[in-house]
Amino acid sequence: MLTEIKQGKTIPPLVKHITQEKINLYAEASGDFNPIHIDESFATSTPFAGTIAHGMLILAYVSETMTLAFGQSWLNGGKLSARFKESARPGDTITINSIIDSITEQNGVSYANCSFRCCNQKDETIILGDVSVRFSAD
Amino acid sequence: MQDANVTYEELVPDYEFSPVNYDLSEPLISKYLQAVDISDGGFVPPMAIAAYSLQAMAGALSLPPDAIAIHTSQEIEFFKLVPVGATIECHAKVARKITRASMRMLVLELNVFNQDKEKVQSGKTTIVFPG
Repeated sequence: MLTEIKQGKTIPPLVKHITQEKINLYAEASGDFNPIHIDESFATSTPFAGTIAHGMLILAYVSETMTLAFGQSWLNGGKLSARFKESARPGDTITINSIIDSITEQNGVSYANCSFRCCNQKDETIILGDVSVRFSAD
Repeated sequence: MQDANVTYEELVPDYEFSPVNYDLSEPLISKYLQAVDISDGGFVPPMAIAAYSLQAMAGALSLPPDAIAIHTSQEIEFFKLVPVGATIECHAKVARKITRASMRMLVLELNVFNQDKEKVQSGKTTIVFPG
């Protein structure tokens, strides 16, 4: 967990390698068997030209990044907004970079407002977003 | 409340999908944790709950076989910790529907409650289907 929550603090990045096996496992765990994720012959015939990872799989990594940084504060007081820009594909290495942009207070409650960017090994943006975490300033 | 298996054409703003219950059993969550390769913190990962609520909606939506649903944005807010073994009830409603010649878009509101009827999560999902 972060030892200090303050504006400008970089959250330790999380790096994950995407494989078709992981995508298949996620399909089974989530119940999302959309063929664009798991059927290579179907996916090759689409504009994606191959299988892509579930967006929610990458968001699970974002959530893990925030859990490691903020602990239970994220799990019961977190808020996330994400825009999917590009697809993550088997073979990609995804890095989740995030920073605390501001600390705000509302009704005596402190919030860490962060932005995050998920990018692949070519530094292409996969997901852009913001999170807000309610925390105790004590 | 409408019955399950509705087509895109039948959806209208404020349409409510039938609620779906999930038993967040230890085997189910273990499978999820293994798939996302994250550590077990003793609570259900919030993105697992979000994934199940999305799936609850997707399971009720009947699309043409060759349609590819593209998830373009996601908002989620977490209100309460959910222990492994809890039962959740997922509600989904159509917030917006936009149909153009080249694409169809749905914005869905998702709300998830625990067995005590407390809201544990809410969110908004945008899905696009190329026309």
